Amino acid sequence: MKKILNRPADYVDEMLDGLVTAHRQLRRLGEDGRVLARAGGAVQGKVGIVTGGGSGHLPVFLGYLGEGLLDACAVGNVFAGPRVADCQEAMRAADGGAGVLQLYGNYGGDRMNFEMAREMLELEGLEVAAVRVADDVASAPVAERQKRRGVAGMVFAFKLAGARAAGGGSLAEVTATAERAALACRSIGVALTPCVIPESGKASFEIADDEVEFGMGIHGEPGIWRGKLKTADELTDEMLDRLLPECGVGRGDRVAVLVNSLGATPHEELYIIYRRVAARLAGAGVTPVMPLVGRYATSMEMTGASLTLMPLDGESERLLAAPADCPFWKV
Amino acid sequence: MANAQMVKTALARWCDALEAAAPELNALDGRLGDGDLGTTLQRCAQLVREALPAMPDELGAVFRACASACAKASGSSFGTLLAVAFLTAAKNVQERTALDRTAIAQLLGIIVAALSARGGAALGDKTMLDSLDAIARALQEAGEGADLRAAVRDSARRACDAMRDQPNRIGRARMFADKSKGADDPGMVAVLRMAESL
Repeated sequence: MKKILNRPADYVDEMLDGLVTAHRQLRRLGEDGRVLARAGGAVQGKVGIVTGGGSGHLPVFLGYLGEGLLDACAVGNVFAGPRVADCQEAMRAADGGAGVLQLYGNYGGDRMNFEMAREMLELEGLEVAAVRVADDVASAPVAERQKRRGVAGMVFAFKLAGARAAGGGSLAEVTATAERAALACRSIGVALTPCVIPESGKASFEIADDEVEFGMGIHGEPGIWRGKLKTADELTDEMLDRLLPECGVGRGDRVAVLVNSLGATPHEELYIIYRRVAARLAGAGVTPVMPLVGRYATSMEMTGASLTLMPLDGESERLLAAPADCPFWKV
Repeated sequence: MANAQMVKTALARWCDALEAAAPELNALDGRLGDGDLGTTLQRCAQLVREALPAMPDELGAVFRACASACAKASGSSFGTLLAVAFLTAAKNVQERTALDRTAIAQLLGIIVAALSARGGAALGDKTMLDSLDAIARALQEAGEGADLRAAVRDSARRACDAMRDQPNRIGRARMFADKSKGADDPGMVAVLRMAESL
């Protein structure tokens, strides 16, 4: 293992310490400081949006707390779900009296913990809704969309739901916006090298030097195929060929685009991918809107990239462009 | 019959057993999973042990305290499922001051259903549900005067034996279904260690 750290067991807590010291708009809460919330407290009268999941994906999840985005986050160990007690604490921290939306990725453990937290807080009278993002097209066929994993598409769901909540939307309206975003966005990734999980010191998966895994999940879950590395254009074309038919976009349509690094892949290579994406979309008469190119949902030092597309309508384009401010992203 | 006092004594032994089994369970889980099952259960045991002195002599309260200890222990599915199991027990013991063989068997049946609803596993998926179900049936079928501890222990062991050559059908190990054949499910082994501690 070659990582910059002190003790592996302190990896997450020391990361959180540094993050809240650098970004004073966030603070740690909960018995062990495993809840992050906006420093000013819940915004009264606004629907609170909570998320949560394992560490190791920055800026996902806790990096998206802020104005026009999310309110609180339950933080797990690297690639491990947050505790039920922390999910509850995050929901309390986000509660401004207008109800709380749980918005998180579709993983069995996270779901179980958030659902149990919801059950316990509903007994206390809190109004709660939940939306899970399941955008990874490689993880299950379209007929089993509810089984898909949540990956970079979460960023669009966070943005749209956050903007709707900041604009005074009710819990039902914010939930509907989050559901539409979650249904609209689709992602696929390619992985070149694994990351190392600090607590175990082990690589998240094994892969040969000259190989790529197409469709791999952000924790190293198996993808669609593994083979020799191809050119950027070939990989990008294959990603688009998987995404575009499901997105159902055609001439005149507008689409949000996210070219995301899984951690180690540099911006240079992301722009090589984006160049091809833009050319293909132009060829199809589709207009990319506010393209995002960078590190938005990572797996620490994993090498690879993902592509997310989300067809837009007037309402979602307005919400995408609405002001937002978090430690990793300003709109 | 097991009253609250006896359940608390058994819980102390349950904690010892889980702490002792942690390295074994980590190693088993590390083969196909993330290798933290032992650590998760060790943390559950530690928090249950800390909560024991303050637990009143009332079954529902004892189980509720165990549930909140496990909810605090870990984000891992197994910790949450233990919390679900204890919370289900707390809700279903109602006013009873002691549990007999049939009551424990019924309670285990309700717990298996609750775990299945929350976690999505079914019987036969090679999870701790198969172990708990086997224990419930063994208790149900035990004759008068039978050694119930032995019945619990033996049924947990037989459940491991029966599922060993089956593939895991849920969770992370499902992705390695073929590799999981011939290996004990770590969760089932955890239940076996719990059963042995009684």
